[in-house]
Formats: sequence, C-alpha cells, structure tokens
Amino acid sequence: MNKENLVKKWLADELTDAEREAFEQLDDFQLHKDILDNAAYFKSSGFSQLDDFETFSKRLDEIAKPVRKMTWVKPFLRIASVFVIGFSLYYFFLFNNVVEIQTLASEKATIELPDASKVIVNAMSEVRYSKGKWQQKRELELQGEAFFDVAKGSKFSVITSEGTVSVLGTQFNVKQRGSYFEVECFEGTVKVTSQNTSEQLKAGDRYRFSNGQVSLGNTLYQQPQWTKNVSSFDRIPIFEVIAELERQYNIEVEMDEVQTARLFTGGFVHDNLENALKSITEPLDLDFTIEAKNHVRMYASEK
Amino acid sequence: MPKDLHDNICEKNVFSSIYNKYSKDVHNYLYYKYGEQFNPNDKAQDAFVKLWENCKNVTLGNARAFLFKVANNMMLNELKHQKVVLRHQKVKPRDYTNETPEFLMEKEQFLIQYQKVLQNLPEDQRVAFMLNKVEGKKHSEIAEMLGITRKVVEYRIYSAFKTLKRELEGFKI
Repeated sequence: MNKENLVKKWLADELTDAEREAFEQLDDFQLHKDILDNAAYFKSSGFSQLDDFETFSKRLDEIAKPVRKMTWVKPFLRIASVFVIGFSLYYFFLFNNVVEIQTLASEKATIELPDASKVIVNAMSEVRYSKGKWQQKRELELQGEAFFDVAKGSKFSVITSEGTVSVLGTQFNVKQRGSYFEVECFEGTVKVTSQNTSEQLKAGDRYRFSNGQVSLGNTLYQQPQWTKNVSSFDRIPIFEVIAELERQYNIEVEMDEVQTARLFTGGFVHDNLENALKSITEPLDLDFTIEAKNHVRMYASEK
Repeated sequence: MPKDLHDNICEKNVFSSIYNKYSKDVHNYLYYKYGEQFNPNDKAQDAFVKLWENCKNVTLGNARAFLFKVANNMMLNELKHQKVVLRHQKVKPRDYTNETPEFLMEKEQFLIQYQKVLQNLPEDQRVAFMLNKVEGKKHSEIAEMLGITRKVVEYRIYSAFKTLKRELEGFKI
C-alpha cells in the first residue's frame, strides 16, 4: 500500500494492525504525530465557552414577554372578519336578491319571472327585479325595450326613467331609448304614468312620448315586430331608426349631411344587414357604403 | 398522533434536549470556522433563540439543519471578510519537565506557524479537521452535522492535513 493511502486510512482511523506497523515505520511518522498532537492546543474550550441551558433559558424568558403583547391581535382580526363577511352575505341575500339581465347589441333575451310572467328583452337593454320580494310586489326596472306577457295576479309594474307602466294581467311592449318613451298594449289594459299624466291603454293602443311631445296612436299587430326579428316604425325620426339598426347589428353608422329628424315609416330585418340598410336608405333617397366590418356610412344619394 | 406532541419543539423539555444535544457542536462549528473574536458563544445562542421563535415552523428532524444554517448566516452578517484568528494555548513550562528553554521556544515557534497555517486553511477544511482531531467527532457525525457526505468529510480532513504537513515540515521539534 502506498504512503498516501496509509496516511488517509490513518486519518480515518481505519488502519489494520499490519498497516499501522507500516505507518509507524515511515520517515515522517513523528511529523504526522506532531501535527495531530499539537492541534489540541487550539481547542475551542480553551478560549470560548458555551453557556449551559439554565443560563440560556434566561434569554428566552426575556424575549417571550414582548411578543405576547401582540398575540391577541391576530385572532381578534380573524373573528372580526368572519362577522363582517357574515353580515354582508346576510344583508346581500336578505335585502337584495336582485336579478339583473343585460342584453348587448344584436342580442335578445327571454326571461321567466317567479310568477311565470314572461319578458322578452330587446338588444342593448337592461331589466332588474328583486326575486325575494316578487311575492309581495311585482315590480321591475327597465332600461331599453322589452315585451311583457304578464300572468294574472297582483299589480305588475314596469319602471323606466321616463315613466311607469302598470297592469293586472296583459301583454304589452315598453320602449325607453334616451328620452323616447313608448308603450304598446296588445292585450288587457295598461296604465301608463308619465310626464305627470296617466293614460289607460286598451288592446291595440299606443302611447308615445318623443321629442317632448305626447301622442296616442294605434297598432295593428298582436305582438311587437321586433320579437319576430323585424323592426317596424311608423313616422319615427331617422336617428331613432338608425339607433335601433346599430343596436340590432352591433355596428356604428356615420351620417354624412343627412337630416336625421326626418320621419320614417317602414321597417328592416334583423338577420341581413344589406337588406336592412336598403330598406332604410331607399325610401329616404339615401345611399350607403359598408366600410370596415362594423362601420357603415350613409349619405345622400347622388342620383 | 401522540408522536406529534413529543416532537413539538415549542415544548420546553423538547427544546432543552435539543439545546443539550446540538449547542456544543454549533458553538464549535462557529469557533473553528470563524475564530474567537466574534463571540461564537453569543451567536450559537442567538441561533437557538431563533429556533425558539420559529418553533411552530420547524420539525424535530429539521432542527439541526436549521440551527447550523441560521448560525452560519448570523456570523456571515457580522463578518464581512474579517480575518480569522484562532489562538493557541501558551505552552506551559511545567508540561515538559526535562526540556530546555530552547526547546520550549522552538515549540512556541512551531505553534505560531501552526496557527498561521490553520487560520489560512479554507474554512470547511479547518472545521472538519478540528471537529474530528480535536473534538473527537467521527466522520459520520460531522457529515450529518454539516449536511454533507462522509467522503467529503474525509477529503476535507485529508486536504487540511496535507497543507499542515507541507507548511510545518521545516520545523524539527
């Protein structure tokens, strides 16, 4: 066995008796021994002593006290937050329970109310009602346009920013777009309260408030046309017609030098933009160009 | 389930047995690695205080590794490249009855050189060598303490020895 291996084994205390004899025969055996023996002069205990546990635990006691002051805060906050969450959930469910339906452009929705009344909501409209309170009070809020098929029962009210419509059991359409407010009755009786007046509508009657003027008229349909995917207008300003076109097709229409207050009578379909645009522009002597996917330009016809 | 209760470091008696088991080793580790001037006694105890503060987050099995790591970090923070000083005990004349004053002086010279070499050894080698040859720790114990393998411990001790031999060969005592 060579010298270095002997040294390694000696350092690891793994020499056999024979190897040990060989190791002790080496020239520098004494040096090897001296190195190990003299290491003891550097022992730690000669210069640095570690405290025993008794002494040490005094340190711990000093530290333990200040920490204790704050340990009530965390559990307190936890309990408090449980109460806060509990209350807000309770409040939310008890006092709200509000159902909100919103339609986007070119979207319609059909809702069934808790009393089996039906509501068909037109594009870009919003309906809100309180589910929990429906038993006591049939009241909902409307922004936009919806058709109502109301089950017989207690008073049913539709509240809009421009007026309120109340019925007992009937079918009617409510339209509120900006300051334009229109109610059509298709069945039963409908009471419209708006502009500090009240009107009773029978089946086939129409109430309209547009451009600051109230007008009463008739409708020959059994149901609003938009529920059949057609929009129809009877002497309605062009800008209202275009606004509905934009809602149904989710487009933007730019009008170049068009008198938008002109009245329009006619309609357009909801499933074909080109046909719809033609239906509007031709009777009015207008022309159109479909620019990017959602952008249409309308202008006076060059004929 | 009962096992968990006994392994809970936050219990004073479990903690004190950990202190008694590891405190000396942690102290010696710091002493041999960094020397005396940065108060290895204090730092070793600081490491145990940290263990006590974190007693909820450290398991019994991880306590050793936690202590060594924390102790080392605390020392490093204070150190920032200071030179290691390891003193040696003065040679007392009554250790040697028959020797001449010249011999004693030579021995002192030897020890001064020894100190120099020891201080300049790479820390890891010095720690392994001293823990084994002076404190009597077995290779396997050192390996477990420092979280390394036996082979590495053997290699470090061997390297330290070779350096000491090379630097001390010239002295004849």
